[in-house]
Amino acid sequence: MPRIPMDGIRIESLTKTYRAGQVRALDGVSLEIAPGEVFGIIGPNGAGKTTLLGCLLGFLRPDAGRVSIAGREPDDLAIRALTGYLPERLTLDRWMTGLDFLAYHHALARLPAAGRAAEVRAALARVGLDPDAGRRSIRRYSRGMLQRLGLAQALLGRPRYVFLDEPASGVDPAGVVLFRRLLGEVKASGATVVLNSHQLDQVERVCDRVAFVKQGRVEALETPHAGATMARVLRVRGPAGTIGASVPRETLELAARQAGAVLREVAPPLARFAVADDAGAARLVQTLVAAGVPVAEVTPEEGRLERLFLEDEPARGPA
Amino acid sequence: MNVTLVFATLRQRFTSPLRLVILLLLGWMPMLQILLAPRIGFAALGDCYFLTLTLAAGMIGQDLSSGTLQLLLARPVTRAQYVFSRWGAVAAGTFLIVVLQALCAASLMLARGAPVPWGQAALYLGNSALLALGLAAVMALFSSLASGIADLGLLFLAFLSAQVLEKVGMFKSWDWLARGAGELLRMLKPELDLASLVHGGQVPWPAVVAYLSTVTLCLALAVVVMNRRELSYASSGN
Repeated sequence: MPRIPMDGIRIESLTKTYRAGQVRALDGVSLEIAPGEVFGIIGPNGAGKTTLLGCLLGFLRPDAGRVSIAGREPDDLAIRALTGYLPERLTLDRWMTGLDFLAYHHALARLPAAGRAAEVRAALARVGLDPDAGRRSIRRYSRGMLQRLGLAQALLGRPRYVFLDEPASGVDPAGVVLFRRLLGEVKASGATVVLNSHQLDQVERVCDRVAFVKQGRVEALETPHAGATMARVLRVRGPAGTIGASVPRETLELAARQAGAVLREVAPPLARFAVADDAGAARLVQTLVAAGVPVAEVTPEEGRLERLFLEDEPARGPA
Repeated sequence: MNVTLVFATLRQRFTSPLRLVILLLLGWMPMLQILLAPRIGFAALGDCYFLTLTLAAGMIGQDLSSGTLQLLLARPVTRAQYVFSRWGAVAAGTFLIVVLQALCAASLMLARGAPVPWGQAALYLGNSALLALGLAAVMALFSSLASGIADLGLLFLAFLSAQVLEKVGMFKSWDWLARGAGELLRMLKPELDLASLVHGGQVPWPAVVAYLSTVTLCLALAVVVMNRRELSYASSGN
């Protein structure tokens, strides 16, 4: 395998159109993704996310602009040897067994044949598929199993650049947790990950930075964890005449302080609190009840990324 | 050529039940003829045109329509390697069947007490190898242009058009048209008869050049088509 200096991904003024320029899928996108970063791409349908990923993988030729990975073209074979990719519309060679499929991609990735059998079995186990499933024809795999096999294929040989397009789609909750754990492992190995997903909570949890793409442009660049010690907002509703009336703001502030939360706003009969995590949320509710605050309902408020979508909603106009 | 791709193509082609049934029918029918009239020799086997077509149909187009090509080309494989590997695998697969056929035919002749014309067998194998390589190249070009197994339709259409043009050319005495259509027909079935070489005749250079140029042109065009192809479902509607 050729030695390539560890470097990130650079996208410069990328423009891509379809149908002889009638559809502008990407419109001057510029981004820099640092080595070892987990970078998320979100946006409404048709925003240009998959086109961006297609350009990053060298599947699509941009009309203008440039993509470079570690200073090389994305379709450079040396880069491809270091790349793992999981497409959104996953179609596998259905005539193979799971093990055959992984061995096939192991060979295509030019990984050493000596440890192939062991590495392929380990890859299968890594995504929670048992050896029996590996011996079965892919034709008989469920949607979730296919997705797991696809992920195992993408992570073969510990790639340095991983491109995942909706990796958790069709996967059960256990699979989502597994996916998150694997992504953590990939990040710990120093790989650069580009993640395209609609599952905003996942993106918010795993990504270092997130680009919100709309109509082919990067509308916002978010850093989900930066300075966000209070990552979640809870809305607490009391019966009429309680919160903001019989229960004064000071009582709410005191309870919040005791629970390690922050009172953001009081708008009777609602109060909004910022909490660090699920445990913080449970502590806040417990403290409020202990302080005699009548709690009728507690609802988590949408995350920062979700707000990007909601703020975008009116601008889109009627469907 | 990528050995992994060649073997994967061979496995893919030989594990398709429909293909296997067609190959068995095509492969075993001539055996009946030899069984009944063993002295007919290897002429009963005909050529490997339909065997090659059976293995070649959708050699690239099926990957395009199923979407497996994206995953494959995310690996360190060039598109030219991909085309050459598919071509090589189809030709090699066809030749493998031809060799098996020839062995079965020879066994049947021996079993029926008929002499085995080994020279004819060698000629048959050589001619089959050349036809398989040539036709696989033509199919690689058509398959790079059309998804699924529409390459068969393209081949049929080209064949039909060339025949119609040839007839029109002959009927109207337009020599240039008849000759052009004849060339096109020869391109659609690129073969080279080794008989003249075996029997001590002169090397048919025009035929050799025509054959080699057809194979080279088809493969080069298939690579160009594949290199120009955009591989994202985003491109088909975003």
